[in-house]
Amino acid sequence: MKEIMPYIPFLIPYLILEFGLAITALIHVIKHSEFRFGNKALWIIIVLFFQILGPICYFVFGKGEE
Amino acid sequence: MKKQVFCPSTVISPLQAGETMRVKMRGFAAFTKKELLESVRTYKLFILLAVFLLFGMMNPLFAKLMPKIVEAALPKGMEMSLAEPTAIDSWSQFYKNIPQMGLLVLVILFSPMLSGEFSKGTLINILTKGLPRKTVIVSKYLFSSLLWSASYWLCYGITFLYTSLLWTQESVSHIFPAALFLWAFGLLLLAVLIFAGVLCKSSYGCLLFTGGFVAVLFLLDLIPKVKKINPIKLASDNLMLLTNESVLSDWTWPMVSCFCIIMAGIWGGVILFNKRQI
Repeated sequence: MKEIMPYIPFLIPYLILEFGLAITALIHVIKHSEFRFGNKALWIIIVLFFQILGPICYFVFGKGEE
Repeated sequence: MKKQVFCPSTVISPLQAGETMRVKMRGFAAFTKKELLESVRTYKLFILLAVFLLFGMMNPLFAKLMPKIVEAALPKGMEMSLAEPTAIDSWSQFYKNIPQMGLLVLVILFSPMLSGEFSKGTLINILTKGLPRKTVIVSKYLFSSLLWSASYWLCYGITFLYTSLLWTQESVSHIFPAALFLWAFGLLLLAVLIFAGVLCKSSYGCLLFTGGFVAVLFLLDLIPKVKKINPIKLASDNLMLLTNESVLSDWTWPMVSCFCIIMAGIWGGVILFNKRQI
């Protein structure tokens, strides 16, 4: 852990962006109830547990038409 | 008051050349604006920028921290000699992640570019109001390449910044040209994608066509004579340029063929689209 400390300033923007992506997708999943496939619970799990790829998959394949 | 946003061609013909040009430009601007709005509302803009920003930060960090993580994960008493990472390692991450993941995300995001419009029938209205079909293709291509350029150079900028903060980059040569070549390859993929979009009905068809195209490029690379001009070099050999294993003059022909394929893709797309039933 001590060795990683000097890199914390570099890691923070990365983590913010990663969580930002996940949270944007999460809000979208919660607010909408129509999906191209799967259901709400499935997409919440995907979006939260698969970093970066989860939110992309949701917006590209999972998001229903409005 | 005359209001001509999308004039049918029969109305345009008596107008003066300058006026025709202005009407055409207005149609182009309106359609490009629609593309921008669409990319914001479908979260495309957001995803592309976020993903490439993340990659930009990930490349140098991963190169720097990986040996430490491996060391920490190994059981005590086990020694493994890992070379101290250098700036080259950071760039090798860049040229591994962007051609694989980055281009994949780009192609997946833009694959419904035309097929989505066909399936929803959203083009019928604007085309019958007189927007030239050529404008649709050119505007879509320009807009997608603009998005690609913005996100790619953002990623490059962040990787460059982080790399120069974590290491010195004196030993790395041709950093900018190498990045320029990969960018050109992205533009090529978009041109192929738009051609595929006119050709295929579904977005999966576009993905398959573009994937097939890349696979063919890889196969052609096995033939020594084609290898010299194969544009796949632009996305696969960039690291050799950084380590001085390759000279800039080797890259002229791949760039020329890349440019030719882009032009052929757009031109072919326009011709096919003019004949296509919507």
